[in-house]
Amino acid sequence: MRRIAIAVYLLVLGSTVAGQAGRGAIAGKVTTDQGDPAAGVTVQAKDASGKISSVVANRNGEYRLTNLPAGTYEISVPQMGVRTARYAQPNVVIEAGKTLTFDIMLMPNNFGIIGDDGGFLHIYNKYKDLKGPAPRTPEGRPDFSGVWLANVDPNPGPVHMLPWAQTEWERRRDRAFEGMPTSRCLPLDPTMTLPFFYKIVQTRTLLVHLFEQDPHYREAFLDGRAHPKDLDPTWMGHTIGRWDKDTLVLDTVGLNDKSWLLQAIWLPHTEKLRIIERYTRPDLGHLNIDVRLEDPDTFITPVERHVQWLFTPGEEILEAICAENNKFQDYSAFK
Amino acid sequence: MKDMFAGAGLAMAMALALAATPTSAHHSFAAEFDITKPVTITGKVTKIEWTNPHAFLFVDVADAQTGAVTNWEIEMGSPNGLTRLGWTRTLLKPGDAVTIEGSLGRTKPNLANARSVVMTETGKKLGAASSEGGTSR
Repeated sequence: MRRIAIAVYLLVLGSTVAGQAGRGAIAGKVTTDQGDPAAGVTVQAKDASGKISSVVANRNGEYRLTNLPAGTYEISVPQMGVRTARYAQPNVVIEAGKTLTFDIMLMPNNFGIIGDDGGFLHIYNKYKDLKGPAPRTPEGRPDFSGVWLANVDPNPGPVHMLPWAQTEWERRRDRAFEGMPTSRCLPLDPTMTLPFFYKIVQTRTLLVHLFEQDPHYREAFLDGRAHPKDLDPTWMGHTIGRWDKDTLVLDTVGLNDKSWLLQAIWLPHTEKLRIIERYTRPDLGHLNIDVRLEDPDTFITPVERHVQWLFTPGEEILEAICAENNKFQDYSAFK
Repeated sequence: MKDMFAGAGLAMAMALALAATPTSAHHSFAAEFDITKPVTITGKVTKIEWTNPHAFLFVDVADAQTGAVTNWEIEMGSPNGLTRLGWTRTLLKPGDAVTIEGSLGRTKPNLANARSVVMTETGKKLGAASSEGGTSR
């Protein structure tokens, strides 16, 4: 029934579009800074009202967005892993009846160091077309178990910080973010928004995240317990969860103020930080996580991120012991 | 020190809303390497440290004029990241001739990172995933 409704809607939409004049297109090729095709990246066109049209670049990095009302757009390509930084070009004019040729070169987020993001795009493209329904547990809950390739929010909203936090962030920036806790083999970010691999192990009463950075795991208790009183602040905090129909809502408190939040912007925070994560699995291949960071002593308004993880059942989490051979402090320009 | 990163700082300030700064999975590359100083290193592998958080290649480079040999240290990603690109710890062996493109280190002499590693004998670009261009350059 729903399919018929969508088909009718598309028919109506199609005839409306056909009946409208004043539409154009944009097409081109997306490459990395080394000139290689950026297959599988999403190209977005945002109009003045904020409406986004998008298309995925093909294996040659080519894209084409058609049937766009003539006007001015922001053309963007979300960050994929740490190999390609977010690209955004405002004030791109699309004229009626014309196709604008618009090639895009993506800059690396990480100097393009070989092996730093483990071939994110290659692995993404290997699994991006997985089809099927979301599996369920014997109890009938959505099952999130498996290995996932996470990514950052494709369209991150702005962050509004209190003056002390803005000053602290600028201090970090002026020191080229050398103070990232991971550079000293400490844990990084408890928000589950990093563009790396995670493995989820789910039981009726527990959800465990495994990952390749310290501390390598996070436990979320689903057995109905509350947060303990007078928690000693820790890097990952204390996480409890409950089901809201097919959405798993995780609530984390008891965090220390030492971690840096959100890949590539590295925000400060206080021990008042509370992280709310809402997990849904719309189909076999995807896990949608809405993350809300509440810290009234740091953020003027809560910070929200909406990330989508890709199911990668042929991959595995690998051991990574950071203290084995960490030379960063010897080689850093900051002492 | 602040001036040294002024250009990067401006880009980073703009990026606060856009979420993009040149940091890796592990640490700040800008603190260790200077992206404005690209370097091409051609020489023979002497040692590989297949370790976390980063793998390192050591390469003997002979001066074209004097023939004097200098040992360079080349930082790459993590063994896990390299493994996922098809590398193994025995892919390169001591004596293999390679050409490396990267950025120069800021503090230690003869330190660089690697954006690409090409085997001289075959012209093959190592660890390039197919979707990121498996072709030799």
